[in-house]
This record gives sequence, C-alpha cells and structure tokens, in this order.
Amino acid sequence: MRRNKQRRFSEAESDIELSMTPMIDVVFQLLIYFLVTFSTADVLAHLDISRPKPDAAPQQEKPPADMIRVAVLPNGYAINGREMTGIELETMLRRLANISTKQTVLVTCDDKSLHGRLIQVLDMCAENGLSKISVMSGK
Amino acid sequence: MTPMIDVVFQMIIFFVCTAQLEQEQFSEFIKLPDSPNASAVAEAKDPRTITIEVDGKGKVSIARTPLTLSKLRKILNKTVADYGVHGPSIPILIRADTETRHASVKQVMDACTTAGLYKIAFVAVKDSID
Repeated sequence: MRRNKQRRFSEAESDIELSMTPMIDVVFQLLIYFLVTFSTADVLAHLDISRPKPDAAPQQEKPPADMIRVAVLPNGYAINGREMTGIELETMLRRLANISTKQTVLVTCDDKSLHGRLIQVLDMCAENGLSKISVMSGK
Repeated sequence: MTPMIDVVFQMIIFFVCTAQLEQEQFSEFIKLPDSPNASAVAEAKDPRTITIEVDGKGKVSIARTPLTLSKLRKILNKTVADYGVHGPSIPILIRADTETRHASVKQVMDACTTAGLYKIAFVAVKDSID
C-alpha cells in the first residue's frame, strides 16, 4: 500500500515537467510578428538641421552664361529657334558643348511630343557633359 | 502532427508577411525611357522623395494609387506644409512612360511647382533590357 502511494507520487512529479516546444512556438510567432510589423521611423526626414541659409554665403557674381534653347517639337527639334532633326541636334549640341559645358540648356517641350523624346534630349545633354539643364513648361 | 502543423503555420505566416513587404511600390506597366548617358542615381536617397508616376495614357498615380490632378495638388501642398521650413527641398521623381504626351507630364510638373517644389527629376533606365 505504502509502496503504491510512493509510486503514484513520483509519477505525478515527473508529469509537472514543463514542455518547452509550444512555448518556443509561441515565442517565435511573436518574434516574427514584431519583426514584420516593426518599421523604422524616418529619422532623417524629421531631423531639424539648421542649414546655413543660401544668403549667408556671398553670392558670386557670375558672368551671364550663354544659353542654349532647345525645343522638343512633335516631329523634330529646334535649337535656338532653328528646326532640325535628331541627328543634327546631336552634332549641334556636341559642337556647342565643345565651346563650353557651363552653358545653360533650356529645354522646352511641346505638349504633343512624347515624353521619351524629351528624355532623349536630356540624355544628349548628359552625354556631352552639359549639366546645367532646366526644363521649362511653356504655354 | 501538432509540431508539424505548428511549423507549417509559421512558414505560411512568414511567407505571407514577406510577400507583402516585397510588393512593388511602383507600377510595372510604365515603360521608362532609356538614357544611357545620364548619371546614375545616388544610393543615398532622400527619404522624403515623392515618386509620381504617369502612365502611357497620362494617368497620374503615387505608389499605385491613381490620383486626379486636384488630389495630387492637395497631397503635395499638404506634404510641403507638414515639413515646414524643409518642405520646398523635397525631391520629386517623375516616372513617366516614354509613350506619354508631354502635356500630362507638364501637368504634374505644374502641380509640383505650384506646391513650391522645384527639385524635379525624371526617371529613366540606363540599360534597357531589349
């Protein structure tokens, strides 16, 4: 009788043992959930950097730069008012860039011409090292 | 069975979540113009950059959400107001389809300039696949 009781007791003691597997499962779930939902705040966007105002630096008086006016027409291009084809424009831009790459290129684009052709002109400018480009939205 | 089901559920949840994260922010139907000579985009991108998309039919969208021009104007104005002093320095990227008319791109540019945003760049591809 006594022995029997003892045996039962020891059995119950071994049953108490905590099974780890489900707990690990749940913890992994939580871990993955938090990893996925965690999103870093855009720290850089909210930094209140006190940048020097552009007025602080003495503005250098630059000689008025030459300006190249390029127009993108629905079927063709025009440079400084003279109409030409794409190949002519390319050679013209190359020649102008050889004189100076500091010139400003003012690109106007017709409403009806395709966006890809505007990019082509910008690409030509980049190819020839003309980096001062402004795109005007003319009426 | 139970541990196997546990593991499988884990995997399902993991893949569902990562799939959502990888979802493209931009429309894949826009055929970008190519520009082999332009300088590559710098890696360190301003986190405030707004990418505006214009598809081949001239429809404007941000992050796959189609917008009307008045809505776009409202969004841009609000963003500029939210950032206060640093508002006007927010860069704009325009992902326009190569086949779209310039008129629709111009409308977007106009909306940006009326909101006071002047740092506008066009997106193009350096090496086209075909």
